[in-house]
Amino acid sequence: MRSRNAVVWLLVKDWRELLASRAWWLMLALIGPLVGISFISAVRTYAELSAAGGTGSGVGEAFSPLVGIWAPTFSACELAAAFLLPFVAIRVVAGDRQSGALKLELQHWLPPWVRVVSKATVLLAAWIVASAAPLLAVLLWRSYGGTVYGPELASVFLGHLLNAGLTISLAAAAAMMADHPATAAILTLAVTVGTWVLAFVAAVHGGIWEQAAQFTPTAMVAEFQHGLIRLDATLIAAILIAAGLALAAIWTQIGVPERIRALHSTGVLVVAALLIVVCATMRGSWDVSENRMNSFPVSDEAALERIAAPLKIEAHLAPEDPRRSDLERRTLSKLRRVLPNLDVAYASESSTGLFEQAREDYGEIRYSLDGRTATSRATTVEGVLDTIYDLAGVAPASDEDEGFRGHPLNTEPYGAAQLFYLAWPAAIAAAALAHARRQS
Amino acid sequence: MSAGSVEVRHLAKAYGSVRALADVSLTIRGGEVLGLIGPNGAGKTTLFECLAGQLPADGGEVLRNGHRLSPLERAELLFYLPDAITPWPSETLAWCLDFADGYFGATPGRRDQVIEELQLEPLLRVRMGALSKGQRKRAVLAIGWIAPQPLLLVDEPFDGLDLRQTREVGDALQRHAAAGRTLFLSIHQIGDAARVCDRFVLLSGGRVRGHGTRHELCAQAGDIGAAASDLEEAVLALT
Repeated sequence: MRSRNAVVWLLVKDWRELLASRAWWLMLALIGPLVGISFISAVRTYAELSAAGGTGSGVGEAFSPLVGIWAPTFSACELAAAFLLPFVAIRVVAGDRQSGALKLELQHWLPPWVRVVSKATVLLAAWIVASAAPLLAVLLWRSYGGTVYGPELASVFLGHLLNAGLTISLAAAAAMMADHPATAAILTLAVTVGTWVLAFVAAVHGGIWEQAAQFTPTAMVAEFQHGLIRLDATLIAAILIAAGLALAAIWTQIGVPERIRALHSTGVLVVAALLIVVCATMRGSWDVSENRMNSFPVSDEAALERIAAPLKIEAHLAPEDPRRSDLERRTLSKLRRVLPNLDVAYASESSTGLFEQAREDYGEIRYSLDGRTATSRATTVEGVLDTIYDLAGVAPASDEDEGFRGHPLNTEPYGAAQLFYLAWPAAIAAAALAHARRQS
Repeated sequence: MSAGSVEVRHLAKAYGSVRALADVSLTIRGGEVLGLIGPNGAGKTTLFECLAGQLPADGGEVLRNGHRLSPLERAELLFYLPDAITPWPSETLAWCLDFADGYFGATPGRRDQVIEELQLEPLLRVRMGALSKGQRKRAVLAIGWIAPQPLLLVDEPFDGLDLRQTREVGDALQRHAAAGRTLFLSIHQIGDAARVCDRFVLLSGGRVRGHGTRHELCAQAGDIGAAASDLEEAVLALT
């Protein structure tokens, strides 16, 4: 009973610490205009394309609010998670240590993870409150007559929630391990920049870098923003969040010798690394986009599912060759979801492929299935699938599905500027002032 | 719950090559006000932090009535108030006391009693971060008084207090001890310690140089050939 009361008091205290933090109010105030810029620009672009396509066959038909509206609107959250949330998290986590309150609080025999989970819970709740800004954009979109497909929106929201969780756990670990909040902030931002460097290196060198880069927060969020929920990426994000919080809990124990804490931290990192390796092999994924943008047409999927033998594809394309990214994004990423026995290998001698063009085999894509081989240079969906069907001796049924016709909407972002540039910051400023007045 | 007799045996702590505590052994008797005295840098704060489990000791043990205490048992026995902290600076004193009351699970009515004993009523609506040094010291003391552990360790209880406040807090500490709480106070002003404490542990250079009542310390000074008529002279002779 006493422990339960203590946990409730801890949660209340952490929530009040959050409300007392200027970083939190600043993040709230800034996220509105950031969402506003993205939303207004997205609605205008969507309207332009919708007008160009009309309701007949055209660009607008293929337009989905997921890619056209939600992905850019919620991208403001990515910016906030990278550059604003770390400071809020560090303030909440390191505040107790800076003030000396931690020395008092630690004298209640609560396990250290309870303290860290309390702060993480409060910070996640704070993030959900901040997400009110993009959710207001959803309401505006509905008021314009726009379509909202729930699973897509849930996918985008979940992606950004996981991203926020990663930031919070990283900042919590840094705040407890570093001597000073400024050092923690530098460490957190260094890791964020590090993931961008990893993505850049992956784009240039491919190989193992490319595999690792799939699990950076940016890559993970991009997939959620396309309505693709991957089991491996989701589990790896959850493991990283748990590992970060575990590190924070270990370093909360100021009475434990540093070498023991370092040993425990190494243990956590080793276990996390092993779990990540295991999870990276998991193939499960769910395409929740309304237009099945991450999947082949149903007839093609049915035909591909009939192929039981392992398929090997060797593409002679350099990492920076645009044909390779086309092949990967439009075809192979979908193929992996249907064919569990697919092995894709890339071969190239340089990163750009610029000086390999003269080589005879450059640009070739070699297929090997059940002892039969084929070579093609086509990187389009149709080209790749036809080659595979020929090799496997299967044919897709004729596709009677009309396909996704899209939700074109030619509208102006009425009221968005007033809401996000004026009303939102004013409401946040009023709330912050009211809170400060109540405190004083 | 009474603190009983608490024994510290062979406590040691080093920061790299600097030995902060060396084979420190002492006894805290239930219900007494024990003063930890000694010059600056003697290792007083280090000793308290090691006892409270907030600094890892290199060796030694803590026993209660002859039974060696686990970290959990130690946390249930003693509460430590560090010096120079401003906990929860954005909260009012009233809220901080409510928090201490709820979080540490104080006995009913304890909070109001402490407010009266430490004369905190006029400060209740002031934020912790806005309190003066002396007011903050009293506020932190109040948190310690609310905590239910039978043994209270206070690092420099009179630091930042003026003469009148020092006397008032000293009297309050004695009343607090008389109500059954065992107090272990780290005090660098010998005069203040002499007025409040029943017994003393003299620490210098990380070692216990003497312990006992004022008269016993004076006698110990006499044993090494230095005549000491009061505590200050005894401390100077023994350190």
